[in-house]
Parts: sequence; structure tokens; C-alpha cells
Amino acid sequence: MNDILLEVKAVSKRFGGVAALKGIDLVQHRGETLGMIGPNGSGKTTFVNVISGHTKPNSGTVSFDGRSVSGTNPFQIAKAGLTRTYQAVRVFGELTVRENVATALVDARDAASQEAVAEIADWLRITHRFDKPAGSLTLMEQRQVELLMRLVQKPKLMMLDEPVGGLSSAEVRTMIGVLSELKGRCTIFVIEHTMKVIRELADKVVVLMAGEKLAEGPPAQILADQRVIDKYLGTADA
Amino acid sequence: MTPVTEKKDLSLLAKGHGLPLACFAVVAFATPFLLSGNRYFAFVAGVTMIHILWASGMNLLYGYTGLMPLMIAGLAGISAYTVVGLTASGWSFWLALPVGALAASISGIILGLPSLRLKGFYFTLCSLVIQTVVTLGFIYFSGLTNGDTGISQIPLPSMGGGQPLSGLAYDLVLSAAAVIGVIVLIVIVKSTLGRRLIAIREDDELAGMLGINVTGYKMIAFFIGSLFAGVGGALYAPYIGFISPRSFDVLISMNIWLMVAFGGRGTIWGPVIGAILLAPLSFLLQEYYTVKDILYGLLIIAVIVLMPAGIAGGFLRKKKESAPPLDVPATPRGAK
Repeated sequence: MNDILLEVKAVSKRFGGVAALKGIDLVQHRGETLGMIGPNGSGKTTFVNVISGHTKPNSGTVSFDGRSVSGTNPFQIAKAGLTRTYQAVRVFGELTVRENVATALVDARDAASQEAVAEIADWLRITHRFDKPAGSLTLMEQRQVELLMRLVQKPKLMMLDEPVGGLSSAEVRTMIGVLSELKGRCTIFVIEHTMKVIRELADKVVVLMAGEKLAEGPPAQILADQRVIDKYLGTADA
Repeated sequence: MTPVTEKKDLSLLAKGHGLPLACFAVVAFATPFLLSGNRYFAFVAGVTMIHILWASGMNLLYGYTGLMPLMIAGLAGISAYTVVGLTASGWSFWLALPVGALAASISGIILGLPSLRLKGFYFTLCSLVIQTVVTLGFIYFSGLTNGDTGISQIPLPSMGGGQPLSGLAYDLVLSAAAVIGVIVLIVIVKSTLGRRLIAIREDDELAGMLGINVTGYKMIAFFIGSLFAGVGGALYAPYIGFISPRSFDVLISMNIWLMVAFGGRGTIWGPVIGAILLAPLSFLLQEYYTVKDILYGLLIIAVIVLMPAGIAGGFLRKKKESAPPLDVPATPRGAK
């Protein structure tokens, strides 16, 4: 089996006169946790949008799990096993957690699916909230529901866009624990501003700066890189 | 980790509608017999049954898929003219009915295409234009529709080539159509299809990200919703005995929308109640023609302002905790 899960070649995206991504190359191996950092507006979310099919790139190719997914619809990419979360938590707020999860399944009556749901919900400790409207839960609980909805689909790659954004420091610790256990279930790509998350989870870090890749390497090396400190970590953004 | 034990019911199946459905079926089939002494009241009840079917079709699109097409009457008209044309040229009504309904469904898919690009209000506006064009089409192609004059003296269909059905027998056919329509809607809503349509209503981008083919499911919703409209239109023509472009104009579409919105979109029984309350109203107010339109206008405003979730929605809100109106996303999108 091919060891490369995600391969991005020379992806560029312009919004009018603004170049959000300028020829990004990136390779992520199966089981390797990749962290992406960079100041606000450096193109991190646009990058995820391009890979998940929400935004069409102006040029470049994306291949996932050995197949080209350039130009395909988000739902087809999702079916191929690439899932993502959003920077602002996004669940079906009107629906109960139970209904949210059922929506993510092909067949909610299937016994194997039900077992998988029970197992993952137990692990995430969200079972007691199953009959509440998802919109009425706390932010942390909504993040857990987001994870639950995706995990029941058995994704190969989960792209997390600021998974601890807006959480309290106690919740951040809990979430880091959850995410480190999540590594056993699927490959993770994580965008974060909280360096603690990157330090504890990532095997490899990519720094994005004004739509370009500034640096790439192991977290210890990147977080000590003078260029990264000068342009990002030393600023108020980090 | 310790498993949480306080709530172990992880079944993902929706709750049943058995009891209200049984009550509705009994009432629907009993009404024609109870009102058989008074042909006029029985007729009003029959028209109400057709409106229950239309409202249920509109409910699938508006209540469950989050699309608001104001062209249901136009689609019903396409079916009605098709069926009347076919029966006039010798077809059996019972063969013409599925053909007419299918014509409405295919038209619905084609006329629903703008919903793939236009969101919310903009699609509604577009559908309003489509409805107007369809009405003009009924007038323009007078060779097929007899234009503004309309087609009159449409006979009630016969069963097995004999005498036309009696009023009572056809009333029962209408009751059966309404009951079957509601059953089909319940089955859809409880199925995977229904869950996916609701997901599209709530957040179509998130639905797509979860692997749901949003385009495909919107088309399916239009096919089925238009099928309801088409069956209703086909049954309507011989029942009234007369159809004209005005029978299927924008006011009728608005009226069907009002039944769904007033009763409670996105619930099975709300639009049924809406149809039962509002369909007879136009007959009761027939003598006060000018007042009728004003009353409808006021009712539309009242529904939008005072009860955006309708009667059933207001009832459910009391049972459920903290459920904001359907139009408002529960989480602010742009918020960090």
C-alpha cells in the first residue's frame, strides 16, 4: 500500500487580486500528524478548503489516497475518506446529537454502525447529551459532536481547523488528550494557533506565510527556527 | 475511560406516527360518508383532501429540504392539463393519472434546477417568475389548454369502463390519495433520504462535507414533491369539472405555501392541519370576495411575524428546549 496519503502539488488560489496560496507543495504520509501554523490570513483555511473541495484552485493538483481529487465535489472527496472540521464549530444545531450522528451514517439501522456509534460516543463521553439539540451544547461538547459525526464514517484523514479555538485552558488540555488518542483512529492534519497543541501532537509542521510555505520540519526544529520566530511566533498572532 | 451509564439508548430510529396516522385515516375515510347528505360540504371536504396532498408535497420541499418553490400550483396544472388532454383523446383516467403526475415530476426537476445555484429568498423569487411563466404558458398554448376560457365539463372517471364514479366513490378516492400521500411523507422523513434532506435544509455545505450529494438529493426532493403536486392536479380536474389557467396560478401556490407555513413546516401534521383549516376557508368566504384576499394577506403577515414555525412548530417548541427558528443558524458562522 502506498505510504503517501495526501499529495499536494503547486496549488495556487487567487481571490480577485489577492493571492491566497502561491504554489504550495505538500506531502502527508499515512499515520503522520501534520500541523499547519501561520499568521491570520496566511492561507491556512483556504488550503483546507481547496483540499476538501470547497474552493476550486486556480492551478495545481491534489491527490488523496492514490487518486486525483482535483476538481471533484466535496461530497465525493468526503466519500473517499477525507473529512474536515470548520474554524467556527459547525453542527446541525436544530437537530439532536442523535440526529446529527444519524445524518453522518449511510444506514442508521445497521447494527455495526450502531455499535461503532456507541463505542465512539462512549470514548468521547458525549453519550449523555444524545437527546439534546446540538446547538444547545457547550462549545467543547459541540466539538466532540463534530468529531463523533466524522469518526462514525471511518475517515482516513481528518483535517481539523483550529480544534481548540475558543476553548478554556482546562478544555484545551482535555482536547489535546482526545486528539492524541484520535491518532490511533485516523491520520490527522491540524491547523492551530496554540503551539501547545502543535508541540504535543504534530510529527511534522508546515509554516504558511502570506500564501507561501515558509518552513517545514519536525516541531522542535521549526519552533526554534529564527525565521519562524521573527515572522510569526514573535508576533502577537501566535 | 468509564462508560457513561445514565443514558444507554443509542437507537438512531425516529419515533412513530402510528396513532395520529390511524386517527387521520379514520377521519379521512369517514368524512365522505358523514357528509354524504350534503353534496356541497362533501365537495369542500374533497377539495381539502387534494390540498392536504399538495401541502404535503410542498412540505417535503419547504419544510424538510429548505427550498421554498412558489410554483406547486403550476406543476399541478401541468399534470391536470396532461390528464385532461389524454382522457379527451380516449385514455383511461387511471392510466393518464400516472403519466400526468410524471409530467409534473419531470417539469419539477427541470424548473427546480435554479435551486442548485440560488439560495433561500432568491430561489423563491425565481420560482415565482417560473410560476407566472407557466400560467402564461397555459394561456398562450390555447390549442392544448383552450386558453383563458378553460376546459369545462370534465367528467368524473369511471372504474372498469362502466358508469362514471359516484360523488361518494370519488370522495373516497381523494381521501385515499391524501392518506397515502401522508404515509409516503412519513416513510420518506423516517428514512435515510429524509434525514439527508433535513441535513441539506439545516446546512447544505456541512451536508456535502459529510458525503451527501446535495445536488442529487435536491433533485430527488423536487421529483417527489412535484409528484404530489401532479397527483393532486390530476385528481382536481375531474372533481371540479373545470380547469383554467387561474385554477393553477400564483395565488394557489401562495395558498399552498400558507397552509404549510401556518400549520408548521417540517412537521408531518402541521401542514395537514393547515390545509384542513385554510382550504375550506376560501369556500366559506366566497361571498366576501374582496375581504378574502385582504384576509389572506393579513394571515400571511401574521404567520411570518408571529408564528414563523406555525401551529405545530409552536406546540413542539413548548416541548423541546431552546430551539431557535429554522431560518437562524444555531451557531454564528463567522464567529471565532
